[in-house]
Amino acid sequence: MNNFDYAKPSTLKEAIDIYKQYGDKARLLMGGTDLVVLLDDGVLTPDMVIDLKGIEELKKLEFDGEYLHIGAGVTFNELIDSSVVREKFPILWEASKTVASTGVRNKATLVGNICSAVPSADSAPALLVYDATVVIAAENGDREVPITEFFTGPRRTVLSPGEIVKEVKISAGSGKFGGTYIKLGRYDGEDLAQVGVAALVTESKDYKIAFCAVAPKPVRAIEAEQFLKGKDLNDETLEEAAKLAVKAISPISDIRASKEYRLYVSGVLVKRALKVALSRLNGNGPAYGERLV
Amino acid sequence: MTKELKYVGKRAVRLDGLEKVTAAAKYVDDLEFGPAMYYVAVLESPYAHAIIKSIDTSEAEKMPGVKAVLSGKDFPEKFGLYLKDNSIFPADRVRYVGEQVAAVVAETPAQAKAAVKKIKVEYEPLPVLQNPLEAIKPDAPLIHPDLGKYEVVPWLYPQPGTNIAHVRKIRKGDVDKAFEEADYILEDWYHVPHVVHAPMETHISVALFSYDGRLTMWNSTQSPHTQRNIIANSLKIPHKNVRVIAPYVGGGFGGKAGINMEVIAAVAAMKVPGHPVKLRWTRRQEFFNTSQRQELYAHIKMGVNKEGKIIALKHELFWDVGASAEYGSNVVNATGFSATGPYYIPNVYIDSFAVYTNRPPCGAYRGFGYSEFHFGIESHMDRMAKMIGMDPVEFRRKNAIRRGQSVAYGVEMNPTGILECIDKVAEKIEWGKEDKSPDPTKVRAKGFAAVWKAPAMPPNESSAAFIKFSEDGSINILVSGMELGQGFLTAMAKIAAEELQLPLEKIRVELPDTDRNPYEWQTVASHVTWSCGNAVRRAAIDARNQILNTVSRAYHIDKANLYLEDGKVKCYTDPEFELPFEKFVIDGIEMPDGTYRGGPIMGHGMFMPEFTSAKVNPETGLGGHPNVHYTTGAGAVEIEIDKETGRIRVIKMAEAFDAGKAINPDLVEGQIVGGFVQGLGTALWEEVKFDENGRILNPNFTDYKIPTALDVPREMHPIIVEVPQPDGPFGARGIAEHTMIPVMPAVANAVENALGIRIKEVPITPEKILNALKEKEQNKQ
Amino acid sequence: MKREIKFTLNGEPVKIDVMPNEKLLDVLRDRLGVKSPKHGCGRGECGACTVLLNGKTIRSCITLAIEVDGQEITTLEGLEKDGMTELQKSFLEHNSFQCGFCAPGMTLTATELLRKNPHPDEEEIREAIAGNLCRCTGYKNIVDAIVDVSKKG
Repeated sequence: MNNFDYAKPSTLKEAIDIYKQYGDKARLLMGGTDLVVLLDDGVLTPDMVIDLKGIEELKKLEFDGEYLHIGAGVTFNELIDSSVVREKFPILWEASKTVASTGVRNKATLVGNICSAVPSADSAPALLVYDATVVIAAENGDREVPITEFFTGPRRTVLSPGEIVKEVKISAGSGKFGGTYIKLGRYDGEDLAQVGVAALVTESKDYKIAFCAVAPKPVRAIEAEQFLKGKDLNDETLEEAAKLAVKAISPISDIRASKEYRLYVSGVLVKRALKVALSRLNGNGPAYGERLV
Repeated sequence: MTKELKYVGKRAVRLDGLEKVTAAAKYVDDLEFGPAMYYVAVLESPYAHAIIKSIDTSEAEKMPGVKAVLSGKDFPEKFGLYLKDNSIFPADRVRYVGEQVAAVVAETPAQAKAAVKKIKVEYEPLPVLQNPLEAIKPDAPLIHPDLGKYEVVPWLYPQPGTNIAHVRKIRKGDVDKAFEEADYILEDWYHVPHVVHAPMETHISVALFSYDGRLTMWNSTQSPHTQRNIIANSLKIPHKNVRVIAPYVGGGFGGKAGINMEVIAAVAAMKVPGHPVKLRWTRRQEFFNTSQRQELYAHIKMGVNKEGKIIALKHELFWDVGASAEYGSNVVNATGFSATGPYYIPNVYIDSFAVYTNRPPCGAYRGFGYSEFHFGIESHMDRMAKMIGMDPVEFRRKNAIRRGQSVAYGVEMNPTGILECIDKVAEKIEWGKEDKSPDPTKVRAKGFAAVWKAPAMPPNESSAAFIKFSEDGSINILVSGMELGQGFLTAMAKIAAEELQLPLEKIRVELPDTDRNPYEWQTVASHVTWSCGNAVRRAAIDARNQILNTVSRAYHIDKANLYLEDGKVKCYTDPEFELPFEKFVIDGIEMPDGTYRGGPIMGHGMFMPEFTSAKVNPETGLGGHPNVHYTTGAGAVEIEIDKETGRIRVIKMAEAFDAGKAINPDLVEGQIVGGFVQGLGTALWEEVKFDENGRILNPNFTDYKIPTALDVPREMHPIIVEVPQPDGPFGARGIAEHTMIPVMPAVANAVENALGIRIKEVPITPEKILNALKEKEQNKQ
Repeated sequence: MKREIKFTLNGEPVKIDVMPNEKLLDVLRDRLGVKSPKHGCGRGECGACTVLLNGKTIRSCITLAIEVDGQEITTLEGLEKDGMTELQKSFLEHNSFQCGFCAPGMTLTATELLRKNPHPDEEEIREAIAGNLCRCTGYKNIVDAIVDVSKKG
C-alpha cells in the first residue's frame, strides 16, 4: 500500500470540502472491504483517504412510512437485521444475505457496493427492480439519480470527484407483491455471482426484472418487462420473457463462467425468479432467504 | 495375544487440542525475533521460459534499508530431494512464471519490496511449453538441456536430450496376448489439471546465521531433518551447525514437505550474520512459489473376460511435473508402480512419464499422484462394469486384490480389508437403493470408487524416538515427526501410554528441533503413525525394560512378576506392591543402606524397514520391493444435480479405510472427513488456470474456490476397518492421504449414473455437465 | 505522517502511533503482540484474521488500523481472559480443530453467532461460519461442537 494521508470528517460538508481539495487523488472509505484490497494491490494510489464513518447522518437506516432511507454507512448486516427491510423490502433483504460472508457484511455497505460499481454487485438487481434513487451530496447541493442511470460501466458511475453518495432511498410502493434475488455462484460458499437476477411481481401484473454479472453494468430487462405487463405467467409467457430478457444482457467469458453458460443460465434463472416471485405474491412461495439454485 | 488395550483405540481429547482452542499454539509467524530482524522480498520471473541475459542489482543495493541483494550468480549449486535440477536462484534461465530470480534483504518489508522493483533483469524469451503431451515430443524445445548432468538417486531414470525427467515402466505378464484373449476392451483418456494445497498458513521461514557459524531456522515444515540435510549439503555447512526448529504447522498436505522457499531465507541470513531474516509468502505467492499437484493425462486400456475378471491393463501416464522434478519425479515413480488401482491384474503394462513443462514445480500433494490416476482407473472400472453388464460394486469385489496376490511389480499384497471396506461403504450409502429428489428439476444418483495407496519412500526411510521422564513421573517424547493437524502427537502419546501404562495427561510429545529430537525422514506418505509409531513403541518398551530392571534389582523381584499400571510398577505375586514412577524415574531407588539403584530412565527406539528395496529392473519394474505395504479403502457419494443449471451437490458420503488399528479412532474419522472434503474441492471446483504465457489467472480465493461449511455433504459417514498390519504398532497403518482419493471418480461415476454422461476431466463443473447433456441430446438426433 | 490512535484492546486501553496505511492485522500482531488473528489471504476471503470490532466480527486484514480509533477490539485472548468459554470447551471435547490455524477466527465467528442467536440450527451455523475457511477438518466436528452449545446454551 502506498503512503496516503487520512481524514475523518464529522460532517458531510467537511468531507466534501476535503474531497474537492484533492479531487481524483482522494478516495472515500466507508466499509473498506473493496477499497483496502485495491490499495493493498497497488491498483489505487490515492494521496488522501477520507473516512466517512465519523459522519452520523450517514449511519441512519429508517423507514418514514413511504421511503426506506439507507444511509451510506449502513452495512449489509444492518440491512439483514432490520425487520422493516425484511418485511417491506424483502428482495433487498434476500440479496444482502448473499453478499460475501458475515464478517465482511459487518463492515461492507450497500452504498459502497453500488459505488464500486462492479458488474456483479449483488445489491444492484434488487435496487433496480425497486427503482431506487441515489441521493448524492455535493458542494452545490444534493442531487438525485435513479439507480437505472447510476451505473455507466464496469467500475464507473455518474459520480465525479467531490460528490458523495449520502443515501439510497427506496419507495415502499403500494399493494401486494412478490420478489426474489437469485444468485448463481460456483458453489454455496462465498462467491461472486456468475449470474444474479432479481424479479418483482405485483398483484396488478407489473413485472420488473434485473440482472448483475452479465453485462458491463447491472441492467433491467425492459423489453421483457413490457412484454409481461398485464399478462399472467404461464409456460409460454415465461419462455418469451426469458428470451427477451436474455436479449438485454451481454455477458462475457471470464474466469468464472463462459459467455454461453451465462446466456443459457440467465434464461433459466429468469423463469425461476419470476415463478418464485409470483408464488410469494400468492403467499405460497418459499420463505425469503431459502436457497433457490 | 490380544490384550485388552487401555489407551490405543480409545477416543481421547487430542494432545494439542487445548493449545489450538485457546490460540496458545504458536506458528512460525507468531514467534518474536526481536527488533534486529530483517525481511526478505523476492523478484519473480514474469516469463515462463526465458534466458537470463543479465541481472543488475546495483540500484536495488542502494535503496533505503537494503542490507543485501542476492541472485543466481552467487549460488551455482543445484539442489533437490531426488533429482538435483533445482537452483536456489537460477543463473542461466527461468522456467516458470513466478520463479524466484533474486531476493532483497531489508529492514522493513516495504523497503524490501521497493528495492526488488529496482532490480533490472534482461530476459530473452524462449518458447513456452505447458502441455506434457507436447513437451514429450522428440522435437520439443528442451527445458533442462543439462538433464544428463544432474545428480539423481539410483532408482530414477532421467532421459537426457528430452524433457522426460523420469519414466517408470511396469511389464508384468503379456498384455498384448491378454488383450487378444479379452472379451471386452475399453480404451480412453482422462485428464486431471493442476491444483494447489492451499493450507491456511502460507509458507514461512525465519533464518538466523550467527557469528559462531550456526544457521538456525524456524520453518513451517513437514520435514525438518530433510531440510537440515539439504541445507547443510548445498550450503556446505556441517550438519551440527544447522538447526531446524519446527513449530506447529497450519496445514501441510505435502506442500511443506521437502524444501522450497526456505533455502532463500537461509542464504539471505548468511549475508546478514546476527540478524534473523523472515520470508513469508503472501497467499498469491503460495499459489505458484511453492509446489503444485501434477497435471495428468492418462490413457487407459483395460481388458476383461466374460467372467468379469480384469486380465489386462495398459496405463500410460503423462505427468506435467512443472519446471523442476526434484520431488515430483517420485510421484511419477510411485504411481508407476501402483497405477492398477486395488485390483489383481495378471498382465500389466504401465509407462509413467515425468515431463518437464514451464509451469510451477510440482511436488508432493496429499495422495502423491494416486488421486490423479484413480480418477481414470475408477472411472474406467465403472464403464467396464456397465459394458459387461455387471454392478460396478460387484465388479470391484470380484477383482479386488487379496492378501498374497501379486501387485503390478510382483510383490505379494499385504493383509487387507478391502472387501470389508467395499461392503461397509455400499451398505452405508445404500447402494442399489434409488433415491428421488422431491424437486422435479433435480436428479439424484450414487457413485462408487475403491482405492489403495502405499507410502512412497526410499527403502531406508526411518524414524527415531527418545523418551525422557520427569520427577513427577511424566514423560516427554522427542520425535521429529510433525503435527500437521492429523493427530500425530496424540497417536505417539497413545502408543507410549499403552506400553508404559501411563495416562495421557502425563505425556508430552515435543515438536521437532533437529538439535534435540532424533531423526525422522519426513512427515509424508501417511507413514508416521506406522514408522514413528514403531520407533516410539520401541522407545517405550526400552524405558519399560529399564524401569522393570531397576525395580527388579532393587526389590529382588523377578522381572516376570512385575507389570505397569496407571503410572506405577505393580507385582502379580504381591498385590500390595505399588511403586509410582515419580518415586524413582529420576532419583533412582534408595536401598536400606543408603545407596541408590537406577537413575534417570531414558528410552530410545528406532525403526527402519529392512525388507524394502528400490533395486528394480528399469525396463520391467520387477525384482525389487519398492513399497512397504498398501492401505486400501472405498468411498461413495450421493449427488444431486439441478438439470437446469448443471449445479451439483454431494448430499451424502461414506468412506471406509483399513487403518489396521485406529490408534485414535476419532482423529482417523477426522482425517476421513477432512480428506473427503479436500477431495471434493478437486472434484467440483478447484483448478489452477493458466493463460497462454504460463501466468496463473487465479492465485487467490476469489477464483480458486476451496470448500466452505456450506459446500460439504450434510451426511458424512467415516468408517474404520481394522485388518491388522503385521509390522505396524498395534497393527496400525496410515490412512491420511487415502481419504481424498475416492472422491473425484466417485463423483464422476455418480454423474454418469444420474444423467448418462461420462465426464473424463475434473473439476466437474455445471458447465461441463450442461455441455455433456447437450452433446448427448445432439447425438440422439 | 503517523497518527496517534487510542482504542480498547481486550478491555485494556491502547495508545499507539500508526501510519494510515498500516493494516489492523499487522498492528495487532507485530506491534501489540496479539497473535491469535492470523495471516491467511490478505483479501478478507478466508476469515483467519477475524477480530471483533465493537462486538462484531470483521476481517482485520482489510481494515486499516486507523479506522479503529475510539473503538473496541476483542480477540480470542480477550474472550478467554477469565477461562475458556463454553464454546471453546465444546471445541476441545469434539476435537474440532486439526492444524488449528482457522481456530481463532472460527471461534470468534461462532461466538458472535451464539450471542446473537443462542440456539441456531445447523444451517444457520454453517451460514455463519461459511466465511471461515478450514482446509483440514471438513467442518464436521466444528459444526457439531457449535450445535452442542446451541442445544445446551
